[in-house]
Amino acid sequence: MENKEILRKHVDELAVKVNGEVQEILGALVLTVKGSYITETLNAAKNFADVPCDFLHDLTAVDVGEQFAVVYQLSSLNGPQTLRVKGMIDRDTPVIESVTRIWRGANFLEREAYDMFGIQFKGHPNLKRIYLWEEFEGYPLRKDYVTESVEKRAVILTMKPGE
Amino acid sequence: MTLERTEELALNLGPQHPSMHGVFRMVAHFDGEIITKIDPKIGYLHRGLEKLAESRTYAQFIPYTDRLDYLAAPHNNMAYVQAVEKLANIQIPERAEYLRVIFAELARIASHLVFIGSLALDMAGWTAWGYCFRDRERILDLFEMTAGSRLTVNAMRIGGFSQEVPDEFWPALKSFLDDLPEMLEEYQGIFYGNEIAMGRMKSVGILTKEDAANFSTTGPVLRASGVKHDLRKDAPYGIYDRFEFDVPVLYGCDSYDRGLIRLLEIKESAKIIRQAMRDIPEGPIMAKVPKVLKPPVGEVYHAVENPKGELGFYLVSDGSTKPARLRIRSATFINIQLLPAISPGWKIQDVIAIFATLDAVLGEVDK
Repeated sequence: MENKEILRKHVDELAVKVNGEVQEILGALVLTVKGSYITETLNAAKNFADVPCDFLHDLTAVDVGEQFAVVYQLSSLNGPQTLRVKGMIDRDTPVIESVTRIWRGANFLEREAYDMFGIQFKGHPNLKRIYLWEEFEGYPLRKDYVTESVEKRAVILTMKPGE
Repeated sequence: MTLERTEELALNLGPQHPSMHGVFRMVAHFDGEIITKIDPKIGYLHRGLEKLAESRTYAQFIPYTDRLDYLAAPHNNMAYVQAVEKLANIQIPERAEYLRVIFAELARIASHLVFIGSLALDMAGWTAWGYCFRDRERILDLFEMTAGSRLTVNAMRIGGFSQEVPDEFWPALKSFLDDLPEMLEEYQGIFYGNEIAMGRMKSVGILTKEDAANFSTTGPVLRASGVKHDLRKDAPYGIYDRFEFDVPVLYGCDSYDRGLIRLLEIKESAKIIRQAMRDIPEGPIMAKVPKVLKPPVGEVYHAVENPKGELGFYLVSDGSTKPARLRIRSATFINIQLLPAISPGWKIQDVIAIFATLDAVLGEVDK
């Protein structure tokens, strides 16, 4: 079997276990799961037989309205397999398990996601803002972040919808 | 027996310091002369590029990518435009592909020359710095005669290349490549073969293979720790699968190998440029791309092998003219995490050298 088919089989099996959804978007395999299953999913993906997705390329978040998607780009240094895992979390309670215990390289990436989206990574050793200063208000990459000047922002934030 | 300890000293290095390669700042904790802990502080050059992208059209964002890793601007252009082309399914003309490769590899050489020069400079080797910048100047001249600017070249467009190279470009490129072996020999003699440089870097700042992989390290830093991983070979993008070249791998895992690997990569880049010069066809350099580009709903992650590691763009399109989310995965932002991990136990001057071998460019770290 080809690499891609083996990977697909593993991902399908894993999707059943963690109640996830598998998609193929522009040739890339995407596994979407609930945020609470993320550690289990990533640990399983890291230890796939024959096609381990054990290298974390990137960790980021996307604002998709009601929810945030925390996106993990995985691949391997020993093979062509790539996998994108998305953990969906609620906008009101943006909490997800940290993966710094699996990949130490996730440290700065999670701090960046916290800085830009306000996502709390449970178990992160040092979850502080990385680019912006501690007193900075709001999370810039959220879609509802007001980019106007400070004076206007105070007015806009108190406006009711439709005003 | 009790070991005597000195009082811990916290020293603030940067953001304005010649050895900090821009505006990097770190708080170093010492026990006597030995580093016990390093706390990197970044964000002094943060411009919010990812947020800016959400209010720009796809084409308008290309000049911003120049400002990421400003020592290798064509590479950033290429990563971004290829990501958009993948998303919108645009095929580009052959000649543009070759021009892209030539510019990207020239940028790699230029970036590595700055690396060698500044690594030498960080260890007080002024002469090597002068040599490297003398030679890098010729590459910048090549950029200037094509695109009009030297550093932020903005050479690529969605669907092709910005303009045809002038007639004097090819002879100048050829003479540069002809002189390159001699230059490399000079760097070898003046810097890499230097006893002091060797003493300062050999067996210093060990980064094991396992640590490198666990820290998501990419690029020359990873390859100097004995991992053969190069996106140009492992996940070929553009037309890189047509060229014959080797991926240098070193197994020393120390500062010296992280330095030396760049010299070897310059040779491979020259090989690629020579093949591209030989094979480049005549023809158009731009595909027909709609003036108002609206990629279909979807998402794509596209990564290229930047001189400093993997540069990836994760684009999410909602079908409008502007990206819903543009994520920049920059190599040195992630590689810089190695500094606190491998520095403890070394002296401050060694840490300056270790930091130089990570080749951080703050435009890319801070985005």
